[in-house]
Amino acid sequence: MTEHFLSVEQATRRFAGLVAVDQVSFALDRGEILSLIGPNGAGKTTLFNLITGQLKVSDGAIMFRNERIDALPPHARAQRGMGRTFQIAKPLTGLSTRENVMVGAFLRHRAYTDAYDRASAVLDEVGLAARAEVPAAELTLSERRRLEVARALALEPELILLDEVMAGLNATEVTQVIDLIHRLNARGVTFLVIEHNLKVVRAFSRRVIVLDHGAKIAEGSAADVLSDPEVIRAYLGKKHVGHA
Amino acid sequence: METFFNILISGILLGGIYSLVSIGLNLIFGVVRIVNFAQGEFVMIAMYATFFCFAKFGIGPYYAVFLVAPLMFVVGLVVQRLVLQPLQNEPMMQVFATFGLLILFENSVLAITRGEGYSLAGTYSQTVIEVFGLRASFARVVVFIAASAIALGLMLFLSRTMAGKAIRAVIQDRQSARLMGINVERTYLLTFALGAALAGVAGALLAPIYTLSPYIGGNFILAAFAVVVLGGLGSVPGAYIGGLMVGLMESFAGYYVDPALKQAIWFIIFVIVLVVRPSGLMGQAGAEEVGLREQT
Amino acid sequence: MRAPLETAGAPPSFGIQLARYAGLLALSGVPLMLLWSNPYWVNVLAYTYLFAALAAAWNIIGGFGGQFSLGHGVFFAIGSYSVARLYLDLGLTPWLGIFPAAVLATVVALLISWPTFRLRGPFFAIATMAINEACFALANYSDKLTGGPRGILIPFRAGLSNMIFIERWKYALLMFAFMIVVVLITVWLRRARLGHYLLAVRADEDAARAAGIDVLKVKLQGMALSAFLTGIGGGLFAMYVRVLDPPTLFSLPDIGVKFALISLIGGIGTIIGPVVGALLIVPLENFLRGTLGGDIPGGHLIILGAILVAASLFLKRGIVGAVLATMRRARRRA
Repeated sequence: MTEHFLSVEQATRRFAGLVAVDQVSFALDRGEILSLIGPNGAGKTTLFNLITGQLKVSDGAIMFRNERIDALPPHARAQRGMGRTFQIAKPLTGLSTRENVMVGAFLRHRAYTDAYDRASAVLDEVGLAARAEVPAAELTLSERRRLEVARALALEPELILLDEVMAGLNATEVTQVIDLIHRLNARGVTFLVIEHNLKVVRAFSRRVIVLDHGAKIAEGSAADVLSDPEVIRAYLGKKHVGHA
Repeated sequence: METFFNILISGILLGGIYSLVSIGLNLIFGVVRIVNFAQGEFVMIAMYATFFCFAKFGIGPYYAVFLVAPLMFVVGLVVQRLVLQPLQNEPMMQVFATFGLLILFENSVLAITRGEGYSLAGTYSQTVIEVFGLRASFARVVVFIAASAIALGLMLFLSRTMAGKAIRAVIQDRQSARLMGINVERTYLLTFALGAALAGVAGALLAPIYTLSPYIGGNFILAAFAVVVLGGLGSVPGAYIGGLMVGLMESFAGYYVDPALKQAIWFIIFVIVLVVRPSGLMGQAGAEEVGLREQT
Repeated sequence: MRAPLETAGAPPSFGIQLARYAGLLALSGVPLMLLWSNPYWVNVLAYTYLFAALAAAWNIIGGFGGQFSLGHGVFFAIGSYSVARLYLDLGLTPWLGIFPAAVLATVVALLISWPTFRLRGPFFAIATMAINEACFALANYSDKLTGGPRGILIPFRAGLSNMIFIERWKYALLMFAFMIVVVLITVWLRRARLGHYLLAVRADEDAARAAGIDVLKVKLQGMALSAFLTGIGGGLFAMYVRVLDPPTLFSLPDIGVKFALISLIGGIGTIIGPVVGALLIVPLENFLRGTLGGDIPGGHLIILGAILVAASLFLKRGIVGAVLATMRRARRRA
């Protein structure tokens, strides 16, 4: 059996009676772009939190590069090559845009000048170079999103988890982010993406997983999944099954 | 054996004092999520106001309480509106601001009274009553009864009245409460003022027991923090029982260890509870949610 | 702060940053140069520079790290008592004694912080305040170690190796030098990885963790540095006043909260803020104590309390913070 890059095995998370993530299993191979979709409240962000360590699994295991990581704290998982963005962008206030990215860069580059240079390069990559000296608190929403991605990129991760990174962006900005993801993917970065925008999902994912009420209800290509009656029912309710 | 019961009674009565002082702080913590370092000063101001009523107008403290409590309610309204509401989302500034108020109130009273130590004690706490054959100060028993009555009354208020339910809703989840049409800002204002009024009641009833000093607020605030953390934020029965426990612990530690170390006792209690069981004995709000400590 | 000389895109030079701060610090020494023969002012300046240094040390964990400690008086007191004891009992010159004293303060700081750093914001503040009060009680209690309520008296025996000087301006100079050392350390820190990590922790702990930062370790490192420097300050204080008792060392308005207040007024999280704050607050407080203190007991503290409330409402970023913000806005319009 081939070892997968990321392997989520029967991951479960309970909150005092509520099962937010229900025995979800899937695997991710290096170089993939896997999308995670599902209606609101399906448990997608919770699943992300289990993978990156903000929450601990109630049951199940998470393997990353053949190492069991579900007992590790979030910073240890980040150090092992996992980067993530948050659904609500968290710019580090009190620091400039560049310093925000440097915080990520310092992981692999101990010296100030090295971290500075690395951060500048990443800012170029995401198109924030012109705003490098601006206090992060003053960035626009789309810039904050890009800052989130930049800070994750600065870690030089092998796996990036993006949590609804397109929300609130206009069409041009969406195209820019998709291009960025493709560029990075071509360089070998693996992606796990939560996304609501189904056009986007179709645009870059080979494979899609659907969550509903915490459980995985479908897995496959975008086309297959989006015509799956279970999935339609989850999003739109029973009435709409058959009106794909 | 008699010593043991004496210490026990003394501890329970002391616990009544702590419960009374802490009940207002607990409400404020639970609802407004503000750390009010000046809560002890509210008690202190109320004590002086009570003394003033007695010295100037001959009104005994057990009557003056009906004047002092509304006075403190107004003080609470003013403080919340002017100082705390603007700082709603800035916890660090809240610490600065309420600590600033602590220093301000403490030294204002010092300046006005010129450091003279006033006391109602002579007139009132000499009265002693017999409780199961053991002697206890009348004033302290009154405090205990009042603390119990207030705790009960507050629990009924929170569970039976609309205003009380609104408060409980805000304690549990302020976002949802807002969505349900509860005016959260007004709830904060009224709760804070209520907390100050409760401090007023405490001050009035404690005036016969303690020698007045501008610095007495500082003592109360630490004990109150310990009680609130022990009993659980936002839980009225928790604050009541927490107060009793702190009183008992202090009484026993004071006898068997050393009375001079009582602050150390509070701190030890405090840290142990915060680290081991942050939601307290009966906390309503989860500690993580209140921001007490990190999520696991 | 960014050096205006830098070329766009190149990292600002450490040398230039250092030089700028050294210049500002030298400026703050001008009052000493002018007033060195005036005993009243020399005393005020000695306190000013010492508290600037202590505020800068507090600022490392309180400002950069966002961990609002009201318990730094404990580290200050440990430094004071330790240096005094080492000097009186072992004859150890304070110039060396400050180091074991600072180490002890650091160890205690780490022991206290390790459990309490889990607490967020205000609750951490409460816990540290409780520690301060507990140590105050302990200090009063342990006669042998601290001299109990009466405290320790260090007899006046002038000599460089005793760190006891006849000319008071030498004390002011010593405090000035200490302030320079502490502030330059913060200049280095702001640039170093630890400095960035502390600021990240202050801004958003979750985001910090996602960036690979071990939040607890970073907080402990910041606290260790802060406590170490505070301990040294306490040691210098001991040799200056030579009368150490618990009410002096553990007083929150005079010591523990004062460090935070000075940082707030000057600018929490800025480098030169603590110096600016001290230059303002210490002489002001002395002046108030002199004029009001007699007639109105506690009068100077009433004003200090009012300043604290007003600053938290209207001057959150402190003087330096407000100046930097205005400069930034002006630069953008230009």
